[in-house]
Amino acid sequence: MKRTLPLLLFAILLLTAALPARTRALSPYTTWARGPGGVPYPTQDAYTPLDEIDLPLASPEELFLAPDGFLYVADTGNGRIVKLDGDFQIAAEFGHGLLQAPTGLFIDEDGFFYIADAGKNAIVILNQDGSLRAELGRPSEPLFGTRREFLPRKLILDARKNLYIVSEGSVDGLVMMNTAGNFIGYFGANRAQMSLKMILQRMFLTEEQLEQFIKTEAASPSNLAIDRQSLIYTVTAGTSRDRSIRKFNIAGTNLLQNVFGSTTFRDLHVSENGLLAAVDADGKIYEYNANGVLLFVFGAKDTADQRLGMLANPASIERVGSDLYVLDKDKNAILIYRATDFAKRVHEGVRLYMDGFYVEAKPHFENVLTYNGLFIMAYQGIADAYYKQNDYSRALQAYRTAEDRNGYSETFWELRNAVLQQYLGSALLALFGLWLASAVFTRLEKRFGWLDPLRQKARQLQNIRLVDDFLFMFRFIKQPADSFYYIKKDQRGSLTFAFLLYLWVVIARLLSLYLTAFIFSPYPSPAWIPFETEIVYALLALLLWNAANYLVSTISDGEGRLRDVLIGSAYSLFPYALFALPIALLSNLLTLNETFLYTFSTQIMWFWTGLMLFIMVKEIHNYSLSETIRNILTTLFTMAMFLLTAYILYVLFNQLYEFVLAIIQEIGLRG
Amino acid sequence: MRPFTRLFLTLCLLLTIGLFLAPRASAAPAQPQEIPPSYQRTAENETFELYVDSSTLAFKLLDKRSGYLWHSGIDELQQGDRLNKSWRAFAQSGVSIEYLDEKAISKRISITNAGRTLNVTPIEAGIEAEVKFEEVGISLRVRLRLEADGVRVEVPSESIRQENPAFRLGLVYLYPFLGATRGGSTPGYMFLPDGTGSLIRFADSTKAKNMFYGRYYGADLGMIGVMPYDPAIKRAYPISFPVFGMVHGEKGNAFLAVVEDGAAYGELQAHPAGIITNFNFLYNAFIYNESYFQATNRSGAGVTTIQRQTNEFDVVVHYRFLQGDAADYVGMARSYQQYLVEKGVLKKAPDPNPNIGIRLEFLGGDKEKVLFWHRFVPMTTLRQMQTLLDRLQIPNPQVIYFGWQPLGASSMPPLSLKLEGGLGTLTELRSLAENLAANGGRFSLYLDPQAALWQEKGYSPRRDLAMAITSVTLEGYNRYHNSYFTLDALRRRYTALTEDIAASLEADLALDGIGFTLYSDFRESAPLNRQQAIRAYQDMLGKSPVRLGFYRPNDYLWSLTSAYYDMPLGDNGYIYTSEAVPFLPIVLSGYVPYYGAALNFSPNLEEDILRHIDYGMYPSFFLTYEPTAKMLDTRSNWIYTSSYDQWGEQIRQTYARMNALLAPVRGQPITARRELREDIFIITYANGKQIVVNYTDQPVSYRGVVIPPRDAALVENTP
Repeated sequence: MKRTLPLLLFAILLLTAALPARTRALSPYTTWARGPGGVPYPTQDAYTPLDEIDLPLASPEELFLAPDGFLYVADTGNGRIVKLDGDFQIAAEFGHGLLQAPTGLFIDEDGFFYIADAGKNAIVILNQDGSLRAELGRPSEPLFGTRREFLPRKLILDARKNLYIVSEGSVDGLVMMNTAGNFIGYFGANRAQMSLKMILQRMFLTEEQLEQFIKTEAASPSNLAIDRQSLIYTVTAGTSRDRSIRKFNIAGTNLLQNVFGSTTFRDLHVSENGLLAAVDADGKIYEYNANGVLLFVFGAKDTADQRLGMLANPASIERVGSDLYVLDKDKNAILIYRATDFAKRVHEGVRLYMDGFYVEAKPHFENVLTYNGLFIMAYQGIADAYYKQNDYSRALQAYRTAEDRNGYSETFWELRNAVLQQYLGSALLALFGLWLASAVFTRLEKRFGWLDPLRQKARQLQNIRLVDDFLFMFRFIKQPADSFYYIKKDQRGSLTFAFLLYLWVVIARLLSLYLTAFIFSPYPSPAWIPFETEIVYALLALLLWNAANYLVSTISDGEGRLRDVLIGSAYSLFPYALFALPIALLSNLLTLNETFLYTFSTQIMWFWTGLMLFIMVKEIHNYSLSETIRNILTTLFTMAMFLLTAYILYVLFNQLYEFVLAIIQEIGLRG
Repeated sequence: MRPFTRLFLTLCLLLTIGLFLAPRASAAPAQPQEIPPSYQRTAENETFELYVDSSTLAFKLLDKRSGYLWHSGIDELQQGDRLNKSWRAFAQSGVSIEYLDEKAISKRISITNAGRTLNVTPIEAGIEAEVKFEEVGISLRVRLRLEADGVRVEVPSESIRQENPAFRLGLVYLYPFLGATRGGSTPGYMFLPDGTGSLIRFADSTKAKNMFYGRYYGADLGMIGVMPYDPAIKRAYPISFPVFGMVHGEKGNAFLAVVEDGAAYGELQAHPAGIITNFNFLYNAFIYNESYFQATNRSGAGVTTIQRQTNEFDVVVHYRFLQGDAADYVGMARSYQQYLVEKGVLKKAPDPNPNIGIRLEFLGGDKEKVLFWHRFVPMTTLRQMQTLLDRLQIPNPQVIYFGWQPLGASSMPPLSLKLEGGLGTLTELRSLAENLAANGGRFSLYLDPQAALWQEKGYSPRRDLAMAITSVTLEGYNRYHNSYFTLDALRRRYTALTEDIAASLEADLALDGIGFTLYSDFRESAPLNRQQAIRAYQDMLGKSPVRLGFYRPNDYLWSLTSAYYDMPLGDNGYIYTSEAVPFLPIVLSGYVPYYGAALNFSPNLEEDILRHIDYGMYPSFFLTYEPTAKMLDTRSNWIYTSSYDQWGEQIRQTYARMNALLAPVRGQPITARRELREDIFIITYANGKQIVVNYTDQPVSYRGVVIPPRDAALVENTP
């Protein structure tokens, strides 16, 4: 429950007076930043641990920097709120006797305390002097839900004096209340997720089993923060990483997508200048810009090492000046992390960037790259600056490095547009000229037969088997059914060519992966393409299909021989063999605006291939329509069975191996 | 103490005195008041008088210079002391042991709380005691002797006897409460050899929840098999020199313990007051047998057993006592330095170059995977390196070439000098090295001789790899994931390569890994314990035909070290320590040039450069000619910033700044370091020159020189 505050300079000075000027040079943790491919790469430390300050508290849950510039701690175990002075001594305590177990704390501009008390399960509001102002219990409005419990743990207050409350186990999101205790509504619920596994479980498990196994309820947020625009941020423990941090607009819509988060977040803090810091139960601290782009991850869990900077059980995080303060409820201590020169550079760039001063932020990001050339976030900032300056070719390069497909696509559109405007007219003219010339040539050629010798040659070539096989492929476009019949009658097609075709399909698959434009490729760079696996997958699919189909057909009155199935299947793949590469090449001319063209042509190609296989099965085995469908389904099922068998055998042999190994080791040890 | 025990002890004492020591004792002058009568004067020299209690083997040492009396243990408890029976016996006895029973459960017993026979014989300047713990059938011999600088304690390897097969000797503790103080009653601190050195100031309470138990030279990989890996954590620096100390009142009195022999199986155990007891104490424990977990299947089930063979090593510990000006960590470091000089470990090496060195580590290149093959990605060819050196114009560059071998950094180095073809030819290499030497620099090839890189060709995984006690091959990581060679393979490979290098060019070797990695090998054909490994490394490396620099060498290699690379910039930051101190730099200053870790990775460049100047440490950088992003898909992508275009200017500036300050004190030992005010340090060198380092945001003036904020200055000391 944090909110950003206009910090008084003197307060920061006051707070840091008691701290050492110099950090220890070595930190116990490695700092990671988002590098190429979205993967974390090590980087210089962003924060170095400065000090660990022990406090006479009992399992404190919340650290809060109030508008008066002082730190306040919710001393949960002692049922009080304490105010710390500049030397981290307790300057005052509040709410003693009024509070049982304060876990959430918020102090507004007027100095009122808003406290979520986990012992009383109520919101306690205190006056500036610590006297009781109000105590808000469970809302009585029917809209709140008749059987809902009210278990407030954390809270914040927005500019309109509405309270947003984290109520433990609330599936509907945050509880919104005014300071008079009236329930306003729920805000920003997490959506429950259904995975395939869960659907299967639903299908097969009994009610009782379901009760035991599955919680499809949405996880409730674990903590929250508010920024100066009154946007609410939440962290949720126990959801997937990419949804663990969310930022809501006033309407309660989540603005952050695909955040690199943690499943055990405890608290977060949003700063004035667009920096988001969050801490998780493993003692890791994550820092983002306000768009949820990861800047740094660092920190380590203190198991027994006791090195400065390791966290045992972090509860709360706060930013004071450029330092991060983390409250550890096992250590009863505040750990202070100081931003390094490197991090300050990044922060300065981010601050300008988030305020829209792309061009001004650029030199800062360039400076950052001096220190770490793999700092992807910096490329993003630089790319946006170039784009704004209409320097599209540089922007394109930078977007490529930053792996920003949208930015890349937009820049490419601009570049393509420029080219089109310049050359479109002349290109059309040239095309028209070509068309005219070829038309004239055809006419004249018909009359004079200039190309007859060539045709002769071509006819001779067709006598070569492989050439004939190749040309036969094109016959499938117009007369697929007949063509399969030829195969069956051994009239055309050969095993040699079939295998060549399979080989080409595998090669085309690989090439298309490499040649697909960055915008449409699922891989950040060609180096990421797992070509070995791709080859294995392709070969496995071909092998399994042929084997399964032949086996299934022999027992279900299929007429096709193995040879027919092999050749037929090969020719059925011709749409893929012919069009995979051109589509991949075409993708290099498209932007995201024309995604439709790319996906549609790809889908057509696959559909056509499927259709060919269907016809193949029908013709080669001489099936009726229903028999064909049955055959294909059985084939697919057999393929799955093959895989399953292989897997089971693998597991069994592995067990056997383990068993023998264990026996040998035992004998060696005791014998 | 129960009357019976007291009677018994007195009887023992009287007997001993009567039998052996009577003539000497009667000749000596009267015993000082504060020494209990059970202590008998045993030896004396110009500076010290040694008193020994032959029933507990405890001793007291009188420093005649200051009149200060050192206690090896606690005789009488005071009100408020938190020592239970077992701890009291531990504190009183000179020697305690920990034994392991058949279930590998350990128990600690001391001379004063166990059935034992004790046979004390006087020897030249001391005593020799044969201790036998009767119940467990374990016996050992301890020699305690006065020497010029203090006391020497020995436990010879051959004296260890384990007669009862049901009990094995686990640990031997020597003088655990030597110099122990109560809480914060005495001002002062304990010194730990953590990183470059670390202090724990005496206080009544501590933040520590566990004691500091640090194995000298790090854990034995032979016992744990696999080095734990956590990408989130920077591994703590292992202890690289077996030294600890304690100061009773700064500039008052201090002692320093130096393990001369047996450190390979030694462990430093330090207890700040506030955990378990109210005493500050630290001591050596020596490990003779350890239990280990033998997994019997891959899912992790198994049994805990004790190692079969007891570790064989002699123990020799020197306690050196200091007083007056020498009684602080600088004095301790200088005392240790003097000890090393006397032993011939540190020698003055003449170096005519008047400028400081700078370590420039050039990455030659590494391989990346392209379809089924590997392709070499050149990052700095020899010609490019020459270009960069010409551009940098540094008068004393210490160049290290990393990734010079065929296919580069993450491939196995060859058995003869073979350069990756993409980098240049041997002739070019030779002329570059000669050029460098002619211009005052040095050229070294990088080598991690112990590392058998994971899944690389070039060695036999079946024959060449060292094995852990659990019969798995050792696994760890340094710059890359690797296994470790057996001594035989290591020696074969190292000798072949170095001989070829010596024959073909003028170059040094920069040895990584071997300086700080010490493992035992349980391969049945040629087992090797840590102590033997030290001797073997000293022997093998001592015969090297080339000069050697080491990355973070342990003390036993310092005599072979011509340059110390990658020195940590402080300690590991345990929260109960009070401050990091440059103990190690002071020890090496004037004898071995030492370089910090590459500054490319420093997040606070300014502050770290100041710390280099403070410690007298020379700078280091990683450099490549090509942009760093080119090696993104290689295994060397942990070097995330290295390109000359980015770092060239920074290197020139840093070097010029540091050279101006540190060149005038080159080759000079540090004689003093004091804190003028908080975060302002004055370092004095043997030639009288001083360096003032100002870490604060305020300018400071010292002897008429104004040092700007976050800067340092040289002050010529003219008396």
